[in-house]
Amino acid sequence: MTHLPGEPGVWVFIVGDLLMFALFFGAFAHYRAQDPALYLQSQATLNQGLGAINTVLLLTSSWFVVGAVQDTRGQRAGRAGTRIILAFLCGAGFIAVKFFEYREKISAGINLTSNDFYMYYYMLTGIHLLHVVIGMGVLIFLWRLLRQSALRDSTVSHESVIGHLESGASFWHLVDMLWIFLFALLYLMK
Amino acid sequence: MNARHQMLCTWSGPVFVAVFTIGFWWLAHYLPPPSPNASAADITALYQQNTGQIRLGMLLMMACSGLVAPFVAVIAVQMKRMEGGAGVLTYTQLSAGTVGMLFLILPALLWTVAAFRPERDPNLILLLNDLGWIFFLMPFGSFVVQNLAIGIAILAHTGPHVFPRWAGYFNLWVAVLFIPGGLLTFFKTGPFAWDGLFVFWVPLVVFFLWYGAMFVLLRQAIARTAPAGAAA
Amino acid sequence: MTHRTTWIWALLILATVLSWELGHGPGFGSHPERATVAVMLIAYLKVRFVFLDFMELRAAPLPLRLTFEAWAALVCGAVIALYWSGLARYPASL
Repeated sequence: MTHLPGEPGVWVFIVGDLLMFALFFGAFAHYRAQDPALYLQSQATLNQGLGAINTVLLLTSSWFVVGAVQDTRGQRAGRAGTRIILAFLCGAGFIAVKFFEYREKISAGINLTSNDFYMYYYMLTGIHLLHVVIGMGVLIFLWRLLRQSALRDSTVSHESVIGHLESGASFWHLVDMLWIFLFALLYLMK
Repeated sequence: MNARHQMLCTWSGPVFVAVFTIGFWWLAHYLPPPSPNASAADITALYQQNTGQIRLGMLLMMACSGLVAPFVAVIAVQMKRMEGGAGVLTYTQLSAGTVGMLFLILPALLWTVAAFRPERDPNLILLLNDLGWIFFLMPFGSFVVQNLAIGIAILAHTGPHVFPRWAGYFNLWVAVLFIPGGLLTFFKTGPFAWDGLFVFWVPLVVFFLWYGAMFVLLRQAIARTAPAGAAA
Repeated sequence: MTHRTTWIWALLILATVLSWELGHGPGFGSHPERATVAVMLIAYLKVRFVFLDFMELRAAPLPLRLTFEAWAALVCGAVIALYWSGLARYPASL
């Protein structure tokens, strides 16, 4: 028995995004191999602890979203809504950590044009951050939907709520997954 | 009769793409683009050696730029069917798409001016070349808004079938891919420079992919309304 | 919430701590290339768990699942291969 989570169309966007990020990762690895000394030296100035905290935040938010999908299937819209709020707060935490991380770099005089490593660092984390913000918008949409559903609003059917939740969850997991590779590439590779 | 006009407008898309390709690529040799890191002497040599071809290529680019208008209009007509009423997304798409034409017309003008007197001061040729490329690739705002408007209109629509829902997500994806264009301001080399992967090649491929997809989708959408005739 | 996804979440957190330690601590000492390959493989396994269990692709139609599996393997493989090609350019002091 196979089951396609969410509506088919959302996978067009997700696979398209995968293509774009494969190019980003490939370009980074390619240019890094040309000048490893520069990349290693610059990478040493990054705060790996903050990168790890952000990984934990996104993994945890994904776990809440998984729980929310399961709750929705089990007709527990109220609990699902709470889990979506917790996932949203993890996303907000991610943005807060990123804000301090960027501020630390900028006050040290490091910006987009300092060197190639920092160009990728700001570009890739920036484009990913845009995904986090869009994803948090999606979470708000899901939360409102769940509230309508919990209030037994007859304009939303149970099937459509599950469908929207699966679509939105898939996008949120994409955001989480992309960060796992980014964390390894930018912060950890030696 | 209306369906026939719409079909005519839809065909302006592939004609635009064909003429643009001949002018931009085959005649002007702007593919791959000259490096933003090239010296004034190198850029001037380019205009002095290809003077006639660049002039002719830009003439074609200027000619085909007008064909964007009917294509944007027919998208608006189909969006209006989805939105009805006040149709703000329809108007957003129409105005953003129309402004997008400017970023074909202006670079073609600037490159024409460069090729008009290739014997002038190399630094001025460099300036005109810079202006042309930056006008061509940097203004992502109107394209992003145009694609977002189409995407949101498709995804929010619940009535009779006009465009499939995947087309909505496809338009959102296209919108995201145009964003890195704005970054060319910071770089003269690498993937975010104007001859780089994420500023030139990816948006170019996506732009043509979008024309191809919208062409097929528009034809299908018009065909669905044609038998009913005036009822639509 | 099922126990399975909770266990996978715990495993993913553990893997994050492990890869953080490899990247930030001494790792494999004088063999940075081993630490890098380990970090990439751990990232690959984490991504695979997110795909299969969080995104529920384990039960999705096969072509979609294979697309994601292929993407993750390709990204991980390409990054390691490109990294390896650059090892010759590593500064001698490392």
